[in-house]
Formats: sequence, structure tokens, C-alpha cells
Amino acid sequence: MSKAPNIPAVLPSDTNPLSFMSTSIDAVINWGRSNSMWPFPFATACCAIEFMSLMSARYDFARFGTEFMRFTPRQSDLLLVMGTVTYKQAPVLRRIYEQMASPRWVIAAGACASTGGFYDCYCTVPGIDQIIPVDVYIAGCPPRPEAYIEAAMQLQAKIKDESFMTDRLARLRDRGEDLPA
Amino acid sequence: MRVIDKEGEKLDLLSVNIGPSHPATHGSLRAICAIDGEKIVAASCEIGYLHRGFEKMVERGTYQQVMPYTDRLNYCSAMLNNIGFCKAVEGMFGIELTERATVIRVIISEMSRFIDHIICVAAALADLGAQTAYFYLFVPREEGMNIWEKLTGARLTNSYARIGGLYRDLYEGFEEDTLRLMTLTEKGLSDVLGLVDRNKIFLDRTQGVAAISQKDAISYGWTGPCLRATGVDRDMRKDEPYYGYETYDFDTVVGSTGDTYDRLMVRIYEVRESISIIRQALKRLKPGPVNVEDPRVSLPQHINAYQDMEALINRFKLVYEGVHVPKGEHYDGIEAANGELGFFIVSDGTGNPWRIKVRPPCLTQFAAFAHLVEGAMIPDAIACLSSINIIAGELDR
Amino acid sequence: MSKFDYTKALVPSTPESREANLTKVFDLLASRLRIVIDPQEHCAKSAIVDRSLLHTAVTILRDTPELGFDLLLDIVGIDYLNYLDHQGPRFAVVYLFKSLKVSGQRFQLKVLVDEEDLVVPTISDLYSIADWAEREVYDQFGVRFEGHPNLKRLLNHFEFVGHPLRKDYPATKRQWLSTNDPMLDQLEARLKHNGFELLDPVPVNTPAVEDVIKGSRQ
Repeated sequence: MSKAPNIPAVLPSDTNPLSFMSTSIDAVINWGRSNSMWPFPFATACCAIEFMSLMSARYDFARFGTEFMRFTPRQSDLLLVMGTVTYKQAPVLRRIYEQMASPRWVIAAGACASTGGFYDCYCTVPGIDQIIPVDVYIAGCPPRPEAYIEAAMQLQAKIKDESFMTDRLARLRDRGEDLPA
Repeated sequence: MRVIDKEGEKLDLLSVNIGPSHPATHGSLRAICAIDGEKIVAASCEIGYLHRGFEKMVERGTYQQVMPYTDRLNYCSAMLNNIGFCKAVEGMFGIELTERATVIRVIISEMSRFIDHIICVAAALADLGAQTAYFYLFVPREEGMNIWEKLTGARLTNSYARIGGLYRDLYEGFEEDTLRLMTLTEKGLSDVLGLVDRNKIFLDRTQGVAAISQKDAISYGWTGPCLRATGVDRDMRKDEPYYGYETYDFDTVVGSTGDTYDRLMVRIYEVRESISIIRQALKRLKPGPVNVEDPRVSLPQHINAYQDMEALINRFKLVYEGVHVPKGEHYDGIEAANGELGFFIVSDGTGNPWRIKVRPPCLTQFAAFAHLVEGAMIPDAIACLSSINIIAGELDR
Repeated sequence: MSKFDYTKALVPSTPESREANLTKVFDLLASRLRIVIDPQEHCAKSAIVDRSLLHTAVTILRDTPELGFDLLLDIVGIDYLNYLDHQGPRFAVVYLFKSLKVSGQRFQLKVLVDEEDLVVPTISDLYSIADWAEREVYDQFGVRFEGHPNLKRLLNHFEFVGHPLRKDYPATKRQWLSTNDPMLDQLEARLKHNGFELLDPVPVNTPAVEDVIKGSRQ
């Protein structure tokens, strides 16, 4: 990375007259991603039962585009970890996270997934952020379906703040390349 | 892996994991199977993916602090676990509950039981592909959770029972809400039965699938609806009645062949029996106290604690040191939704439990899983798994 | 032995009949073997039996028609380290039985074992559920069951060191697991049990695990 980076014209900056293009591209991409977060329900314990209520008719999580649960990580964007993760389960969770293609987000639903809950003992991982990066934490034991919906909306707001173009440039820089001029 | 089977035929088997992360494993279970095409020829199961250390956690607090941990055992019917634990502790004291508390515990037990059965049937049918049944059956479930929220403050893990009684009395309007819930449940069940009762696909997928004989089921320690599905007419509410169950008029639902169909149908008809028990119990409700007036277990009233020194000290000691359960070892169980849920309590006379062992009904059912699915196909294994109603919280504790 | 008809319901038991049943069971068992009433008991009588007589006692409980304890409810391990004024062996294994032939008939059998010689004969040939119940007691307490077909950990992961429910194991001592148990050896045992003859030796690890191990060595 010895060359000075060549910032292409389409990136946002104060002096760039064409930056509206990248913000528009970002806006479209983020709109698409935030409104179709396909979930992978990594359901282990009681929080999963509230998730079942969430998916049923009254709370209807499908409104957010999380329509059908694809029980395969390769086709999902959103990893919903609901329930306690034990040390036996930890390698499984790690492998599932690694099998997901980016863009991927993780919601730690419930007290056990966020911090280990009140199971402060030899077998419980004190929070899944010890294993995988987490985007949104939901408190509750178990959290109400409304809390899940609030978390989904917060995640949507977080997604809308992402920038596809900046991320792409950062990844290319990490690899020692530049965007074509 | 290549093997030669009993007839001398060469087979090429594949070893495949069902679980621990699988759409149809309710909770995290793992069965590693050797399959020949779609047929499972050998299976070996592994549990412990949700082992949260219930038995170690409860040794750190007081007896009252065990209550939230018991909720999370069988989280679909949380209040049954609470009642089971309280019954075991009250058995060590030898105290009798008040009449109102007894009737309310019966109502709450039966309500939790039929909601657990509804969830089991809904999930089982969804696993078989009948997704509509899931939505139809979750309507009464939501109604039930609304009632529980009004009654206890929580939708799912309620911690309603207390040693010596209950958290609080019923709210005004409970009876109307419960009657409406039962009407909704009956409607939902009849809708679902209309969908699957004579549905050829359902019958083909469940009849004759993963059957177990009475002798094997008893050897595996099965109790509850799964045992009754094999034809064994044993129910703790009938054989060793408690809380006045001998005075209620209900039948035990017994199957004949012990296959998946029988296990699901036993649960569906048990919902109807539970509804009938609740209707009878609601008529027996009479005003009265819900907590027994025993200073060893029940907290004195707040107003007394403000005026009377003994009540203040009693309250303080009960909360701070816990209920001093008499020294000894005692086992007591109740007929929970899945079978006999028991608690073996070892007490050293202080308010801190020495050892509490949960006897989980799900463990016995899942121990037989390898025996049930060998010789069946993978889809049959899924149907079987959902019919034995494994709740991982109870299985692994 | 004629087959018992389980489809007929039993007469409901009362607290008095349960008490009478317990006395009957105790007397019958005491007349056949050397047992002791457990002094620990508070609410129900249970019997302490020496571990060498355990298998015989359980066979008597199961096969005698008047007793008919065909259901093994649970096997409980207890650690009495620092328990009040307890003298004697540190561990106990309690067997809980229930009869489906006689209404309201239950029994508890206890075996005391020392820490130095933590071995108890297995009863997994008498009850199928004893297989997993004994595995759990081994996992949590370290009690070895002699003659058990597959004495492996049940609840904790296979890299766990120690026995967590013992009183000297700290509750918050955590142990990470690197990769899940491939379980191919257990599958091989099961195939052999079902009458299959293996032509190739079953590998110790699955291909995915082999990759992980190879990768971590580099």
C-alpha cells in the first residue's frame, strides 16, 4: 500500500460534485437490504418460543421482509441468536456465522444471548459477543415480541447508515488494491 | 463407510448429522445417523447443547430463588414446573394448601398443559408441512399468554407459584377470559382436526411411523402422553391424585399402537379433557386466602410487618435466609405436560438447597429416539421427533 | 410369566395405601437381602444397600410380582462434602423406582460410595433408561459404572475436565470447547450392535474436523 490512494470520483466528499451518485447507490442498496433481512433463527431456548409468537399472525414479523425462515446460513442475512449458548453449542454457532455470506448481521435476542443471562456457571458462554460480532442486543427474559420488532427497526436504521461504496473501498485497500481510476 | 448387513449384502452408508442446528429439532439436539439412501440404519444421539447448569445454580441461592430457574425448564408450560417444585418443597414440610390455592393450581396446571400440547401439535404439523395449523393454533396461544400476562406479569416464564401458595390471587375478569380462551381453543382445535383428521398425507406420514412397544416404553422410563399412546393407562392425576384431582370428572386418553399418530392424537384429545377440568374447577372457586398462614413458608402481610416486630423479623429472615426446609431427602412429582416431572430435594435444614435434581420427562423420551428411528426414513425421524415433544430446556437442564 | 395388562386403569391410591405399600416393599426386600433404613430420610423411607448387592436388589424389585417396579424414574447423584455432621462415604447414588402394576407404590434405593473407590455396578441391563441416567451421574459426579456399555459424558462437552456438580468444583469455572465431538466411534458401536460388519475402519474425525486440525497445525 505504498501508492497514495486514488479516490475515485463517485465517493462522497465535500469537493466531489458527483458524490450524489454514491449516496444514491448506497440508499438503494440499503433500502433493499433493510427491507429484506432474511433470518436464520438460531433458536436454542425460551426466547425461541417468543419468536414463534412473533412469526405468527398477531405480531407478524414478516412485515419487515423477514418472511420465510431459511434454515440454512448460506441463504440468510440475519442471524437471530435466541436463547442460551453453551460451550458445547459455541463451535456450532461459530461455524454457522462463518457460513453466512456478507452482508450479514447478528441480533443477540434475550438476556442469555447478550450476557449469559442469570446462568452464571461453568457451561454458559457469557454472551455471544465472545464468539461472533453482534449488531443489536435485545434485553428481556424472554423479550416481548414488540422488543424483537424494535430491534429489527434499530437494525434497519443501522443498515441505512452503512455505505456499500466505502466498505468496498476499505476492503480493497485491505487487500492492497485500488478501485480502477 | 462400507458395511455388510445381516443378510450379507454390501451397503455404502453415509454418516449424517441431524442437528444440532436443524429446523425441526425443537431446541438443540443432535442425532448422528448412518443412512442407506433415506433409511436410517443406525443412530446415536447427543444432548447437552442447552445444559445451563440448573442444578449447580440453585445451590447458590435460596429456595424461593429457584423459582425462575424452574420456569425455564419446560418453557412452554412454565407454571407446571413452578407448581411441581413447590409441591415437592411443601411435601417436605407436610403443609396443606388453602382450598382456593388448590383450585387455582389445578386451573393453572391444566391451562399450561393444554397450551403445551397446542404448541407441540402446532410445531409437529408445521414440521410435517401443514403450516396453516400453526397459525390457527397460535391464536388461542396468544390469548392464553395475554391472560398469563394479566395474571402474573410475564407472558412466557411466569414464576406464579410460591412455596405455600401463589404469587397473587386471580384478577377480576379471569373467569371470563378463561372461558373465552377455551372457546377459542376448541374452535382452533376443531379447525385443525378438520384439516388433518382424514388427510391422507397426514395419516400416511404418521400412522405406523416410529412405533414403540409397551415393554420398551416402560423400560425407557416413559411417562405421560407418550406412554399413554402405547396403551398404558397410567396418569399420576388418576393413580396418585393430588390437589383434589380425584374429585374431577375426566378421562385419561389412551392410544393403542404407540406410533406418531397416537402420540399426536393423545395430545389433541387431552386438550379437551383439560378444558373440561378447568370448567369444573372454575365452578369451585370460592373466595379465600391463597397463601397458607404458616410463618415457616409464607411472608407475613406488609401491613403487619410495619406494625409488629415478629412479623418484620419473619419477613426479613424468610427473604434473606430463605425458607428453612426441614433436613432430609424427598422426591415428589406431578403429572406435567410431557410426563412425570419430579424434583428430588436434599436439604440440610437451612434456606439454601443442598441438592435439587430434576427428573425430566423429556430425557426418557429422547433416550429412546435412536431405538425409535432405526429402520425409519429421515422424514419419519422428523415426524417422530416432533411427536415426542422434546423441550431442550428440560432435557438438558 | 403372564403378560400384565397395562391398558386397565388402576384403583387410585390414597396416602394411607401408599404408606402401606412402602412398608410392604421394605419388609419384603429386608427379608431377602441385607438393607438398612436410611437415617437421612425425612419424608419417605428409603433403603441403603451395599453396592455389591445392588444388582440383586434391583432384580428383586423388578421381577417380584408383588413389587413390580417396572419403571426406573431416575438415578440421582449426591455429594455430601461438608454436609452438616455427615460421616461415612462422600457420595451417594439414589435410585428412584415406581411401579406401574400397583397404584401408588414407589421406592428409593441408595448406594453409598467412597471418593477413593468411586465404582458402582451398572443396572443398564435391567432398564434401558439407566444407560443415560448413569452417564449423567458419571458426567456430573465422576461415579464410574462398572459394566456400562458406553460410559461417556452426557451433558457437558467431551473436552470438559472435572465433574461440575461436585461441591469442590467452582460454579463459575468455565471451559471452552474447540470443536464438537465427531461421534463416529459411537456410531460405529451402534452399527456393530445392529448387526452390521464394517469393511473400512471408521475414521476418528469427520473430514471437516480434519481440516480444522490440519489448518491449526500450519
